[in-house]
Amino acid sequence: MEFAATIVILTCTYALLAAGTVILYKAGRVVNFAHGELAIVGGYVFYSAGLMSGGTSLWFPVAGAVVFSIIMGMFIYMAMMRRLVGEPFYVAILVTVGIGIVLKSAILVIWRAERLTIDVGVTPAIRMAGGATLSYMDIASVVLTVAFFAGLYLFFRFTRLGVQFRGTAENALLASQRGVDVNFVLSLAWVIAILAASLSGVLYGGRAFLSTESVTIGLAGLTAALVGGLDSLRGAVAGAFIVACAQYLTVRLVDPVLSEAVPFLLLVIVMSIRPWGLFGTQEELDRV
Amino acid sequence: MTDILLQVRQLEVVYHRVATAVQGVSLEVPKGSIVALVGTNGAGKTTTLRAISGFLPSEDAEITDGDITYGDRRINGQLPHQMARAGVILVPERDKVFGTLSVEDNLEFAARGGGEITLERVLGYFPLLTQRKSQLAGYLSGGEKQMLAIGMALLCRPTLLLIDELSLGLAPIVIKDLMALLHRISKELGLTVLLVEQNANAALAIADFGYVMEGGRVVFYGKASELISHPDVREFYLGGAAQSETKSYRDIKQYRRKRRWWG
Amino acid sequence: MSRTGYNLRTNYLESNEVIRRPYQKVLVAMVLAVAVLLPAATSTFFVHLLNLCFLSAIGALGLMLLTGFCGQISLGHAAFLAVGAFTTVILTVHVGAPFVVVIPAAAVTGAVLGFIIGLPSLRFRGVYLAIITLAMHYTVIFLATSYQANFAKSASAGITIPDPSIGPLVIKGEYTWYYFSLVLLTLVTIWCVNLIRTRPGRAWMAIRDRDIAAEALGINLTRYKLMAFMVSSTLASVSGSLLAYYSNVVTVETYTIDLAVIYVAMIIVGGMGSILGALMGAIFMTLLPFGIDGLFSYLPREWRYGSTVFGVQVGAVGICIILFLLIEPKGLAEIWRRIETYFDRWPFRYRPLDTTRH
Repeated sequence: MEFAATIVILTCTYALLAAGTVILYKAGRVVNFAHGELAIVGGYVFYSAGLMSGGTSLWFPVAGAVVFSIIMGMFIYMAMMRRLVGEPFYVAILVTVGIGIVLKSAILVIWRAERLTIDVGVTPAIRMAGGATLSYMDIASVVLTVAFFAGLYLFFRFTRLGVQFRGTAENALLASQRGVDVNFVLSLAWVIAILAASLSGVLYGGRAFLSTESVTIGLAGLTAALVGGLDSLRGAVAGAFIVACAQYLTVRLVDPVLSEAVPFLLLVIVMSIRPWGLFGTQEELDRV
Repeated sequence: MTDILLQVRQLEVVYHRVATAVQGVSLEVPKGSIVALVGTNGAGKTTTLRAISGFLPSEDAEITDGDITYGDRRINGQLPHQMARAGVILVPERDKVFGTLSVEDNLEFAARGGGEITLERVLGYFPLLTQRKSQLAGYLSGGEKQMLAIGMALLCRPTLLLIDELSLGLAPIVIKDLMALLHRISKELGLTVLLVEQNANAALAIADFGYVMEGGRVVFYGKASELISHPDVREFYLGGAAQSETKSYRDIKQYRRKRRWWG
Repeated sequence: MSRTGYNLRTNYLESNEVIRRPYQKVLVAMVLAVAVLLPAATSTFFVHLLNLCFLSAIGALGLMLLTGFCGQISLGHAAFLAVGAFTTVILTVHVGAPFVVVIPAAAVTGAVLGFIIGLPSLRFRGVYLAIITLAMHYTVIFLATSYQANFAKSASAGITIPDPSIGPLVIKGEYTWYYFSLVLLTLVTIWCVNLIRTRPGRAWMAIRDRDIAAEALGINLTRYKLMAFMVSSTLASVSGSLLAYYSNVVTVETYTIDLAVIYVAMIIVGGMGSILGALMGAIFMTLLPFGIDGLFSYLPREWRYGSTVFGVQVGAVGICIILFLLIEPKGLAEIWRRIETYFDRWPFRYRPLDTTRH
């Protein structure tokens, strides 16, 4: 049972990251290489906000992470991404690489590269057969992830803004001509993506630890998105599950050192068999 | 002239800072009328329309000279969604519907609550869309896409409807029906329409006024009925001269020389 | 005095000229003269910095050929450097091979790896290719880590390698290295300039601008893409090997993904598609951390926290990437070009047609 619990929680962490990557890709054909950094910095903000409030209420750190996501999302889109439409594809990618490295330096400067574990009620809640335990944190992770994906589904399927979002992703010009403020919608995409990343960072920080090395979860999330297909939210979940399984099994059965290379080995395999991912569309290969 | 809704004066648009697409175009659209803008490929019709409805910053197009006045407001350089909210709605030439959304979502995308144009009323004009409500718009036929696009535009509560190439890729019979429908809609809803067309015959048939563009300039204008009977316009844009007998090449060249440039 | 515009070319020979303006010849001669005389006038530490600049410039030239000219984005340049360094380690420590054997061997290993990494580029473009090079980075680093864990005498300190020697001449000390790397960089630069103004360079630029059109024009995509990867990885590998010799110690911790990003930053800051840009960018990015270190020495002691300085150094790389991409996408080379143009026209100034944005 232990392994099932670990895999489920790892899947949640990666699925949230992959979902953010997919949303950003669909919205503006940008692949965000700074997603892991955003997640970990989100986790750090959550931790610090909790520390500042004295660790009594959960609302304060949550508000901190939300405010961080909104400010980062608006800033990244309005100050950088908005100005890069029409430039060669590599420009946007390299800007996200730059953002990632700036965030990494923020961890070094602001948090002095401290290795932190977010401690929100890790007391074992449920004991299962075989001595495995699930903490409240673990249960909260799963519930929050499921809620996030359900919310995302309902948002895209049934709300007017969600429909406008999908339209903007397909054809920003036409959306604008139909009265949709494209800048608002695309900023919103960044905010949602960073919010998901922050949540994932908090989950990861609760389960393992936050540090400059843990930004590699971004690469696992990116791999999950690619394995599932860059333009498919369903694929993000499937990809996250595959990456989580592969990583867990390698650590357990082969060699823990290899765990960082696992996502990429997986990626190479998927790329050589089905490069557009499990649920992706083939045409997307030529778009970026 | 009575009530002018849209006035374009000496418009000049430059793409990518080097390519001038239109130069000194002036036109007027009176309230409640249908105005046709006709001309051959590359005459600058679409650019004029796009300049009125606004460019996205990423398109790198710029209005370098002239004024566009809508009502009593100068609207140079507004963003498309600002124009859309002010009631200037463009039906573009291609990519006019969201192919990945269902027909219903497409219509919902545009719908702005209130106003007299309701979803039921739009579906009343285009009963075909009712049957296809849950289908993806990408799988519609050309004519159905055009209907959906016009339906979407109507749901944005337009005051001025800009239509780019209503007839593109459609069968003559469909064009005829659509034109008649457009005429009816505009009269019933009191819409002002600026219609860009290559198919000058069809456009001038329903229009009150017409402008002929070529090479980025307006070369003829006048009442639609006058344009239709104008020998030069007939010769150059309506296909076939007024006289049916074959003319020598020399005569045709003389006609070409007779064209004058305004603006 | 009559003068023609330097952009006006009247025959094909002129378009092949490397140095077009008369004063540029003077300038190049002056730069070389200063470079030769410089060590006499500065401190050993500054010569050491210049050595680092020159050696990393060789790697930057490699990346510039691949990304700036052939348009293939790569985040795996640190891995190529690592390959060169670890080839050096293996050959010197286990075999005891001399310098003149090691460098060609590093070049060949680099070329082989470049060939392997080039293969996916035939099928993938853009983002996908960037991610595959990232995957390659982690795979190479994994292999290097396990090698170091098994063979290094002490895993944390890395592996020491002896000073190189060519025949009786031992390359040792900052000053010997200075002239050695200066000569080498000059030769590599000349080679790169010649490469890009002849057939391969023009083929690469065609591929960069539109690969399908390039193929339609009869350019063998397979051949030239693989060639770009191989040339790039060869230069990186040689650069990695030389840097290893220069620092006398190799450890896998050097070759992080951040190093790959620093090399990407070099070509962005220098200016995509410019040999001069690669040199300028390499010098800029190599000196940047030392400059920041220098600035921190003016600050009060309590601010000079270890991770803060390191953090600012890392952050500066990111900020340079972002600012240059947003404000001056063609980098330092474009700024230099504008200065040249200003003096070409002097004293007749007028606002040039702004066609640099597109």
